[in-house]
Amino acid sequence: MFPEATRCLKASAPLFSKNVFLNASAHGGSSSLPLRRSLGVSHCLAAKVAPPKKPREKVEIPGLEVVTYGDRMHYVPGLAKPVYPSWERSYKDPRFYKSPPAQEMALYKDKPCYVFNQRTSVLEGVRQAAWLTKTSVMHGLPPHLVSLSATAENQLPNQDERVQDAIKHARFWDTTEPRPRKEKYSNTLLLNLLHLCATLQPTHPAVGRRILAENYSLAATWTRGEDLFQIRGQNGLLHCSMDPLPRVCEEKEVLETSDQVLESFYPVSPTIDLQQVNVYKEDVNCTGFRGDYPYPHAHTLYFLETPDPNFKLRPEQFRAKMIMFTFGNALARAHKLYGTQPQTLLERPVTVQAVGTNGRIFQFLVFQLNTTDLSGDDGLKNQVWLDEDVELYDFAKVRPLIKRKEVKVPAGLTGYKPETFSKFLALYLHGAV
Amino acid sequence: PFRRKTPPIPLWHHFCPDPPPFWSSFAVKRLLMNPVQIKLSLCWANLTCNTGFFHSPFCLFAGKVRTRGIGGGHKQKYRWVDFQRLRYEANKEGHPFEEKVVEVRYDPCRSADIALLAGGNRKRWIIATENMQAGDIIKTSGVIGRMAVSANEGDAYPLGALPVGTLVNNLELQPGRGSECIRAAGTSGVLLRKVNGTAIVQLPSKQQVQVLESCMVTVGRVSNIDHNKRVIGKAGRNRWLGIRPSSGLWKRKGGWAGRKIKPLPPMKSYVNLPLISAS
Repeated sequence: MFPEATRCLKASAPLFSKNVFLNASAHGGSSSLPLRRSLGVSHCLAAKVAPPKKPREKVEIPGLEVVTYGDRMHYVPGLAKPVYPSWERSYKDPRFYKSPPAQEMALYKDKPCYVFNQRTSVLEGVRQAAWLTKTSVMHGLPPHLVSLSATAENQLPNQDERVQDAIKHARFWDTTEPRPRKEKYSNTLLLNLLHLCATLQPTHPAVGRRILAENYSLAATWTRGEDLFQIRGQNGLLHCSMDPLPRVCEEKEVLETSDQVLESFYPVSPTIDLQQVNVYKEDVNCTGFRGDYPYPHAHTLYFLETPDPNFKLRPEQFRAKMIMFTFGNALARAHKLYGTQPQTLLERPVTVQAVGTNGRIFQFLVFQLNTTDLSGDDGLKNQVWLDEDVELYDFAKVRPLIKRKEVKVPAGLTGYKPETFSKFLALYLHGAV
Repeated sequence: PFRRKTPPIPLWHHFCPDPPPFWSSFAVKRLLMNPVQIKLSLCWANLTCNTGFFHSPFCLFAGKVRTRGIGGGHKQKYRWVDFQRLRYEANKEGHPFEEKVVEVRYDPCRSADIALLAGGNRKRWIIATENMQAGDIIKTSGVIGRMAVSANEGDAYPLGALPVGTLVNNLELQPGRGSECIRAAGTSGVLLRKVNGTAIVQLPSKQQVQVLESCMVTVGRVSNIDHNKRVIGKAGRNRWLGIRPSSGLWKRKGGWAGRKIKPLPPMKSYVNLPLISAS
């Protein structure tokens, strides 16, 4: 078998790199194989292979013109092969567009920029997002905010019943199939809850001074340490308002944040998993809307889990994304108001809220941007209040879960938790009460 | 008869300096779907590989039985393991560095487990050692000091920096070439002695090899130590693993059968030092 194999190898030698060939022939041992017919392989493989031709030397004599067969338009032995300049099309065809190398692009910079976009899954999650935005994280929402929806006039009539109907609509009724998919029901549930909250408009007229925006693109730039960072991308459903949100905590507490220390995660660099680009615009700062937009203040961002299976985020990374985009909205607004020069203490802190959901579990977040001077680790910090993994209900089953002939979970909605919706409502009413 | 027109696919070497030698064209295409990600995390691309190199069109012997007993098996995902442990990050050459273990997991393409390391701006897969756990911080250093270091398990050092008698794995045969020996589950070698700029290591097969003392090595024993105790259970499971039954043809027993008593093979040297007479 082996001679055959070696011969096949020789036949196919030009196809492969020199290294591979040499290695294989080293195994073969003797180079002079006995010549005999081998019927086991195709004749083209068994044939003797001519040694590779040496490329002919090209002689160039200055002052002499090379006679080519270009004019005759066919090959003539003895005449040189004509060399033509490579053809370039005189018209623009986007199908065959070749971008120039990155170094030759107009926006190329030597210093890289780290870009966070809606698909970024940062390794360290909330800790990393807190470092990048220079934020001190507090767990749980501020108490005075949660108590907004405790009073009767700030609640809906038949609140629990209507919320349960909204859940049932999203989970059971909004489909012609046995059960709706997650992308569908999470979206429906969020819109249902928003609709429920919006019915408070007669008693709270300030709710009418808001609007929902989808597919807005955000861009914000800041420096942290030596590095340049950007937030880019389209994300979430944005609730914009005509009036800014009030500050969540007083200035005294803001000044106290300078004593807090940011959590570090050595040996991992804070820029891990961010996209590193060299072609970028330096001072992009855009809230996604024009200057004369009547609803300039971002009120709340609503995040849904991405339906794209290639870019699924785990809960920790999802929360990190929420923090980053809330910060990005606040920073873009602050840059509009106070200019892009870093300010140690903003006169009126920019507050933006965020709500993330996967159709059952909610994440609530309130972000207060106190400073835009983010380069050093010391000094004032921004603040974020984060309420993680709050369940709206335990199960919403189309068919009961039966194990060992025993109904473990009945069909329908079970384990509804009214506190979750009251938190949702509190964030909605923040600024309108 | 008609091929769909596709845009020209950039080749793998546009993104990766040294790809593994055995991926199928399908794998290359999948890899290319997201070149940005590849650039970012050079060392942990997920590729699909079946029974390795033999089924790939890149194989010289594609379509011929070269080694019997290989074929079929469940389709596996390839995870690109970085065997060159001392791979410095850009602009940080020459300094020892630490990395954090993010996760330790099963790898279908090898018997040992693999660990995902994150350090600095990058992530990579390596072969996990016995007691490696998520959250550990492990060190990699290329420095040979005057004193032998007291190394923790999972750390990587040149052989010259380690005390004699250390259990090691992932041995490099030539400095900078990437580890080639002692990578199977549960194996470990012993650093026997250090002579004149070289080190002598006993492999799991009891063969002794002599390598340069600047060869990198990981301290400890490779993970998945119970790999040899698993029960295949039935013939079909071997087929799932891509191992085919042997030929049923009767063969007379030859020299391979029966007990053999042989001397240990002589020490193998991978050192090309100049002769004393040459100097």
